[in-house]
Amino acid sequence: MDRGMVIFLGALLTFSSSWLGLILFPFWQLRDEKPLTKDGEDPYPVPLQGLALAGKTVYQNNGCMYCHTQQVRSERFGNWWDANGEQRTGADIRRSYGQRRTVSRDYIYDNPTMLGTMRTGPDLANIGVRNPSAPWHHTHLLNPRSANAWSIMPSFAFFYTREKVVGTRSDKALSLGREWTVNPGYRWKPSAKEWDAILAAQGPALAAQKGIDPASAEGKKQLLDYWLTTPEEDYQVIPNADGDALVAYLLALRKAEVPLPEAKE
Amino acid sequence: MPAPLTSEMIEANRARSAAERAAIDASCRGPVLAFAATAVFWLLMGSVLALIASIKLHSPYFLTGSAELTFGRVRMAHLQAVGIGWASLATVAAALWQMCRLSRAELIYPKILYLSCALWNVGTFLAVFGIIFGDGQSVEWLDAPRYAPPFFIAALGIVVAWVVAVFRRRREPHVYVTQWYILGAVFWFPWMYLVTVFMIFWTPATGVVQPIVNWWFGHNTLGLWFTPVAVGTAYYLIPKIIGRPIHSYYLSIIGFWALALFYSWAGMHHLIGGPIPGWLASASTVGSMMMLIPVLAVAINHHMTMRGHFHRLRYSPALRFTVFGAIAYTLVSVQGSFEALKDFSEVAHFTHYTVAHAHLGAYGFVTMIYFGLFYYMIPRLTGREWASPLLIRVHFWCAAVGITVYFVALSIGGWWQGRMMNNPSVEFGKIVTYLLPYLFTRSLAGILLTIGHLAFATSFIMNLAGWGKQRSGGPTFFVEPVGKAT
Amino acid sequence: MSAVDLALFLTVIGSVVLFGGAAVLALSWAFKSGQFDNFQRGSLSIFGPDEPPGEGTDAFPGEPSPRT
Repeated sequence: MDRGMVIFLGALLTFSSSWLGLILFPFWQLRDEKPLTKDGEDPYPVPLQGLALAGKTVYQNNGCMYCHTQQVRSERFGNWWDANGEQRTGADIRRSYGQRRTVSRDYIYDNPTMLGTMRTGPDLANIGVRNPSAPWHHTHLLNPRSANAWSIMPSFAFFYTREKVVGTRSDKALSLGREWTVNPGYRWKPSAKEWDAILAAQGPALAAQKGIDPASAEGKKQLLDYWLTTPEEDYQVIPNADGDALVAYLLALRKAEVPLPEAKE
Repeated sequence: MPAPLTSEMIEANRARSAAERAAIDASCRGPVLAFAATAVFWLLMGSVLALIASIKLHSPYFLTGSAELTFGRVRMAHLQAVGIGWASLATVAAALWQMCRLSRAELIYPKILYLSCALWNVGTFLAVFGIIFGDGQSVEWLDAPRYAPPFFIAALGIVVAWVVAVFRRRREPHVYVTQWYILGAVFWFPWMYLVTVFMIFWTPATGVVQPIVNWWFGHNTLGLWFTPVAVGTAYYLIPKIIGRPIHSYYLSIIGFWALALFYSWAGMHHLIGGPIPGWLASASTVGSMMMLIPVLAVAINHHMTMRGHFHRLRYSPALRFTVFGAIAYTLVSVQGSFEALKDFSEVAHFTHYTVAHAHLGAYGFVTMIYFGLFYYMIPRLTGREWASPLLIRVHFWCAAVGITVYFVALSIGGWWQGRMMNNPSVEFGKIVTYLLPYLFTRSLAGILLTIGHLAFATSFIMNLAGWGKQRSGGPTFFVEPVGKAT
Repeated sequence: MSAVDLALFLTVIGSVVLFGGAAVLALSWAFKSGQFDNFQRGSLSIFGPDEPPGEGTDAFPGEPSPRT
């Protein structure tokens, strides 16, 4: 075969078949999907707005998608064997990633649509339902080890600012012990020297407060634990704009909660 | 009957042929070396980014203070550096040089290709550093910030025009199978890149159409851009190095058309179980299974060509890398076909098993074949031998052992990760802890691979800088016959 | 069967006929015009008088390339 035209036509035909089948058909099939509207109920889904919309960009720019999916697989997916050796399925729903599988309509306002392909961490399709506590998300983002000792998630300390308290403490200040806030993003522990200095300055007051004898080795250790797990008095850690936005986005992730007719098995 | 050739005529024929080949290589020298050298630069950048990302997955406090080096950004930057930087630039170098040689035509207006190379590198630079400084797009394979694609489109346009121009000026009447693959690749890739950039960034499609387009592109980047050029390279290098024509030319043609038809349908298996129409995933599963045809065609063909010549792996560095890559191609493709089955996918999906598979394809297959090509091509372009056999051996063993350890560790860890995730009574923390030793092993493998890349880059720089003997003697010389012929 | 399914079904059948037909036509043309004659000769096109079949073309630097 010595003709370029044969190769060109063949390459054109084979590839346009996949372009038609995998791109144009789904594009036509899915382009007109509308949110579900029922009388007396809010439409579903709704587009992100305000802070949550800004948070989507933070999520996107920091590649959160590369460890967290946003899709719930159906009851029929994910085989495992229970204690009796019986085959079972549907782990996604049992892990409460959603009440049902997600379908294309759940995503009509997503842009980009960050389904994800990796579960280094748990699925986040409905994290706003599963864990609606903003303070928890903030302490977890500052240093995930503060919530789960085994976590390998990065610390997102750069979404937070540690500053001197002027006047009263901010409402937004994270309530975490010194070990997490003195050096945000890391787990802080004073060196022996630093600890001696702290003890010399504040030891008697602390000991009196807790009724611990700082002279004994045991007491000294208890005092250190106490010191590390209580918040700093004159410093606070507060989320910056990105931190606030990201948490707003996480709380707005409420997919797979409203029933959709096409999501029935 | 033609008169028998005298020895002078044979000698003259030989010299003419060598002179022609030398002239073709000389015309390619500048642009192809520019693409190759910058490819190696991005390989090193990608290796450093990969190591940072890998270490972070088992030691989360490593470099945790900076937003620029948070895992998600480094992960995106790594893929751009090795996918759009190293592998794509190497693909262009491979396509240009082999198209010239197989067409027996010189590269015309080589200076314009410097512009293409510069544009591509500016684009890659913007992609990698744009992501690091916070503009990553979280669209796998297309994480480059929005200001990068125009550079790639312009650079790609020039490359395509030049490949086609060389092909149209061909003096060799026969179109060799490698040229088919190259022509296919330069036709398919711009098409799918433009479609994808339009449908995801410029006029975003609704909802899940985006991930559909995304994986059509992501999978076809491997299947219809890297794979054809890398397989084509093996079809050229293996026969050329061992001096024996390809075992069955029929098979190679069947393989080409089967790849063109089936690979393009395969991408949706990345979304099995996801919120897409069921028929889409099924269609891709069929496409993936049908891929066994071209893969086995290539495997049988390469094996039969090599049969009786395996001892040459000891003597030829280029052959060693290329054959390693060809074997990895068979393994990764057969594995990929089965991974697309639902029962398999529901365990392997969302785990490090897929990461291992991706690296066996992108590294074990594509990258190893390009290493082989570079070991063969660079001395013929610079006119200098590689300076140090030791560095080549270090490179080969680090790469071969590194990718094997990488693949085995993550495949085992990833498989059990998937099994545990499917069992809702296993706590998530337990899975994370279970994976740590496997992830640590992956970092060790990454260090090995990086050492290999440093050895390779050192060899490369020494060669460019003029260390190493001038090529002479043996059947591949081209310096001396040119002198004799003119 | 909904309208979408039907449209889809028809398009799939249509494209199978179209693409399959094109492939058959292309193959029959290729056979008739002799594209498959002396096929194996094509595999020799990468060799030349200075790098003929039977001679290897690569070796570790400083080491001779063994004859095949």
